[in-house]
Amino acid sequence: MTDEELAKDLGPLAALTIGIGTMIGAGIFVLPGAAVQEAGPLSAAAFVLGGVIALLTAASASELGTAMPKSGGAYYYINHALGPLFGSVAGWGNWMGLAFASAFYMTGFGQYVVTFLPVPSLVLGGITVSAVKLVALAGGLLFVFVNYVGAKETGKLQNAIVLILLAILAVFTVFGLLNADLAKLRPFVPPDKGMSPLLPVTGLIFVSYLGFVQITSVAEEIKNPGKNLPRAVLGSVVIVTLVYALVLLTVLAAVDNSVVAGNETAVVDVARLLIGPVGAGAMLFGGLLATASSANASILASSRINFAMGRDRIVSEELNEIHPRFGTPYRSIAITGGFILLFILLADVSTLANAGSVLHLIIYGLLNVSLVVMRVSDPEDYQPDFRVPLYPITPVLGAITSFALIAFFADTIVLLAVGFVAFAMLWYAAYARTKATKQGILGKYLLQQSEQLPDAAVSAATSVQPDGGYRVMVPLSNPESERDLVSLAGSVAKANDGTLVGVHIVKVPDQTALESAREEYDFDEADRLLEQARADAGELGVDIETHTVLSHRSFEEVFDAAETYNADLVVMGWGPDSHGSPGRAESAFEEITHALPYDVLVLKDRGFDPSHVLVPTAGGPDSDLSASIASVLREFCDAEVELLHVADDAAEGERFLREWADERGLGDATLTVETGDVETAIESHATDASLLVVGATERGLLSRLVSGTVVMDVVDDVECSVLMAEQSRTRSIRKRLFG
Amino acid sequence: MTDHVEPLFSRPLLPLANADDAELTCAAAFPRIAAAGGRASVVHVIEKAGGAPDKAGVEQREEVADELFEVARRAADDAGIDLHTDLRFATDVGDAILDAAEDADATAIVFTPRGGRSWWDLFSGAVRDQLVRHSDRPVVVLPAGADDDGDAGGET
Repeated sequence: MTDEELAKDLGPLAALTIGIGTMIGAGIFVLPGAAVQEAGPLSAAAFVLGGVIALLTAASASELGTAMPKSGGAYYYINHALGPLFGSVAGWGNWMGLAFASAFYMTGFGQYVVTFLPVPSLVLGGITVSAVKLVALAGGLLFVFVNYVGAKETGKLQNAIVLILLAILAVFTVFGLLNADLAKLRPFVPPDKGMSPLLPVTGLIFVSYLGFVQITSVAEEIKNPGKNLPRAVLGSVVIVTLVYALVLLTVLAAVDNSVVAGNETAVVDVARLLIGPVGAGAMLFGGLLATASSANASILASSRINFAMGRDRIVSEELNEIHPRFGTPYRSIAITGGFILLFILLADVSTLANAGSVLHLIIYGLLNVSLVVMRVSDPEDYQPDFRVPLYPITPVLGAITSFALIAFFADTIVLLAVGFVAFAMLWYAAYARTKATKQGILGKYLLQQSEQLPDAAVSAATSVQPDGGYRVMVPLSNPESERDLVSLAGSVAKANDGTLVGVHIVKVPDQTALESAREEYDFDEADRLLEQARADAGELGVDIETHTVLSHRSFEEVFDAAETYNADLVVMGWGPDSHGSPGRAESAFEEITHALPYDVLVLKDRGFDPSHVLVPTAGGPDSDLSASIASVLREFCDAEVELLHVADDAAEGERFLREWADERGLGDATLTVETGDVETAIESHATDASLLVVGATERGLLSRLVSGTVVMDVVDDVECSVLMAEQSRTRSIRKRLFG
Repeated sequence: MTDHVEPLFSRPLLPLANADDAELTCAAAFPRIAAAGGRASVVHVIEKAGGAPDKAGVEQREEVADELFEVARRAADDAGIDLHTDLRFATDVGDAILDAAEDADATAIVFTPRGGRSWWDLFSGAVRDQLVRHSDRPVVVLPAGADDDGDAGGET
């Protein structure tokens, strides 16, 4: 077997039982009492309605899951599609939603245990903790512990538990049908309340439909996810909905409503009436198994969500430390456990169910929105094996029904949901925004479409981008050019509300290991250089972060560092001793420059003085970057900008340059048109200029620098500093400046 | 085997559990391997539940594997020895390590005791016992860092 096959070892049945096992606990064993009390036989319709809403979302979850079979499931898709602001809402929502749900399952577990075990309630400092809650707390502790030490047998037990549960329920339903009397189902709609309880009860019982998303959180482990994931997700919702509706209808047809209404362990009493003590025992056993397996699966799923959140820096990665011996994400599990115990203590069973439901409804709504975003923006790597039928009706309906159902919860629950969303957004703004690195598909799409979209949409998209947002990296190596590079890079960073990243690369001889260099080297010089960079950036009023990088390579390391620190623009010096001798890996550069993911400015520094900037242009994409830089220098360094165009025909040249300048907001710059030889014209005008900005005339400025071939003779012939610009192949700051 | 006996440290296999374990084990073993003019294989096993959800995500544990292999590579660079890395997925960690030793034709299986509290053994002590009991090649337990008692210290 290949590693791939070994890593993906969840077959279709195992995937299905994760879904069913997480869901089946609540609907049958805990909620019928409360639901029937509110809505009578109509509560069966509430279960069906809940199932339909879940099914709509399950279709979206399946498509997203087959396109991105990643750890973390729903959180991952939402963060990927809508960006980290909504990612924060989804991550926290899914995490806390599962903690509320687990607390709810454990309280249900407690209700079952106290029917046969006399547990006293506990009075602690004037506060009474009921027997149910005591058992719930003990049960919660037990399942947190089981996951903390990672007993791998529990996972396999889940399959068996689900099969046993389905068998028990099947026998129960057969007995129910034998005793069914359809007259007992009438009036189906409670005569005193009418249809009004339908939606609130749907909200209450919706906690029974959380499990299918948990399948997507282990999507990376599913064998052949293209086929098995949609089957498991959709299949578990369909099966569970049918079981819920069928069992509830037979129960209500077989016994009086009064036996069920308000009865916490209704199915046990119904089984006692229909089958006798054996039936009651079996249902009791089923209730314990079902609530336990739901809680166990939820705790497990929440640690996957924590991992995915940590990877995107929405929460600290510390949370995801793996235990040295148990191999479990023990911190995540312990903290989730803490929340579960807290929620058990603080809230009653219906609040817990409602809170778990409402948080998941938010996620379900966002999940459907994410699907629409992915379909509309259609990124190249989005290749789902399963596609939602009846798009766009299905996801739009899914989003509307999920969000709309929230309105039918009690006011306190709605308030909790709103407060929670506010908290998660604040969390992003205050904690995660400076750390999160991932940009959502939606944000990228809006920024790309900035010409067609209203300004408000674009600026909203820009303002919630992670502050990783616009990052200008400056590799610093020698103290003489440090100040010039920092002021140039700082101006561009400032113009884009971005951050400056100062990187000092220390070249370590191949023979010395990096680790030992870290201990033995003297970093005083590096520290002084970076300290100076921080001071200069401070003067400019630009945020700066600094890093010292040890590497066996020097020039090549610049490009690795640019990737590592997510640079949008790299501003580097070029001179005899700037970054050591370029390496041997030229072919690698071909690759880098072929799909250059950031803009690059290379400064041939002869004293940085932006008072008179000369920009020769012949049009073309790379001169756009020169134009952007010129306008930044004009705005932040009071530069006088002169545009130079060399044409065969002076009049035509003038028309071209006028248009070119106007389009780029440089209409008021000095426009000069020359005829004759390009290089001669540039050289003669450069004598008056303090800085010459040239765009790479053809692709491959960087590769030429690396290989040592001269870019343009002018660079060496003129006396002023020269700034060479090579534009990213994938994104550009021009869009940001002129978009 | 009849003609000559290979030195224990000419081609040993080091099972590594995490970055701290890699740090200690490599520090203890690599100088000995270098002295014997040998080369090292390191193996990390990602434990799979075999058809049920795992206790931690695969991606999450692949990150752990990357990290510990990186530690081993740096240590091998330092010691100037060749290193072979082996990542395995298996339901039984002990078996997978024995298989890896077989595949690498290892001259010994070398590890350092991992310390920790004694009750931890209740839930995860099986691998060590299995290596000691079922290995068909020498198993060497090296003391981890003489001045470093018990708990793996932080990196410098």
